[in-house]
Amino acid sequence: MDKDHKKTYFYNAVALTVLTVLELGVYQMPIAKMSQIVLLFAFAITKMMLVAMIYMHLRYETKVLRRILFIPIPAAILFAWALMYDLPFRWAI
Amino acid sequence: MSEALAIKDPFGKATTGKLGMWLFIIMDGLSFGGLLIGGAALRATAPSWPNPGDLLNIPLTGFNTFLLICTSFTMVMALNSLEKGSQSGLKKYLALTMAGGLVFLGIQVYEYYHFILDGFIPSTSIYAAVFYATTCFHGLHVLSGVIYIACILYAANQGRYTAHDTDHVEILGIFWHFVDLIWIFVFTVIYLI
Repeated sequence: MDKDHKKTYFYNAVALTVLTVLELGVYQMPIAKMSQIVLLFAFAITKMMLVAMIYMHLRYETKVLRRILFIPIPAAILFAWALMYDLPFRWAI
Repeated sequence: MSEALAIKDPFGKATTGKLGMWLFIIMDGLSFGGLLIGGAALRATAPSWPNPGDLLNIPLTGFNTFLLICTSFTMVMALNSLEKGSQSGLKKYLALTMAGGLVFLGIQVYEYYHFILDGFIPSTSIYAAVFYATTCFHGLHVLSGVIYIACILYAANQGRYTAHDTDHVEILGIFWHFVDLIWIFVFTVIYLI
C-alpha cells in the first residue's frame, strides 16, 4: 500500500463500467434465459471480486482474514439450496 | 529466543476498527442474502413473475450503477490522496463521493415517484414487495453512507487526518465499497434476471 495505485484504481473503474455495459448487452440479447442468467451472474461475481480485491484492498489483507470473510458465501449458498429444496413441501397448495 | 516465540498476527496490520467494520459487513451481507434468498423463494413459488424490463427503467438504473462505480473510484482516490498527504485531494474526493451518493438517491426517489404514480406500490404484487424491500434496504445503506461521509468530511475539514492516520477514512471506504458491491448483485438479481 506504499505505492501510488491511481492507475490500478482507474483501470478497475473502467473494467467495472465495461462489465456493466456487457451486462446490459446480455440483458438485451435474444438468447436462452438460462444462458442469460449464467452470464449475468458471471459478470456480477467478477465485478464484486474486482471491488472487494482492489477497492476494498482485500488482496493486501492476510489469508486468514480473507478466508474468514469468504466463509459466509458458501453458508448463504447452502441456506438458499436448503430453502429451495424445502419449498415444494411447505408452500405447495 | 524471543524471535522463536514471536507469534505472527493472523490479521496483519488490520486495526481493530477495520476488523469491526469487516465483521459488520459479514452480518450486513447476510441480511442482504436473506432478502435476496427470500425473494428467490417467493419467485420460485409464484404462479407468474413479470419481466423486470416491462416495469422498471433499466437504462436509468444502469446509469445509477455506473454512478455508484464512479463513487467507489472517488472514494478510493480520497484514501489515496490522504496517503500521499494531500488534504485538499481528500476533501475534494470525499465531497465528490457524497455528491454521487446523493444523486444516486435522487434518481432512486425519482424512480419510486413515477412507480407510485403508475400504481406500482409494494402491495401491488409479490414482485413489487420484493423490489421495494430490497432496493429500499440498499437505499438506506446509501443514505447511511452519505451521512457517514459527511461526518468524516467534517473531521477532515478540522484537519483530523494525516498521511500516518488514515484508519477512519479506510474504514469509511470499506463500508462505501460494500454498498457498491451489494448494488452490483441487487442490480443483477432484481433488475436484470
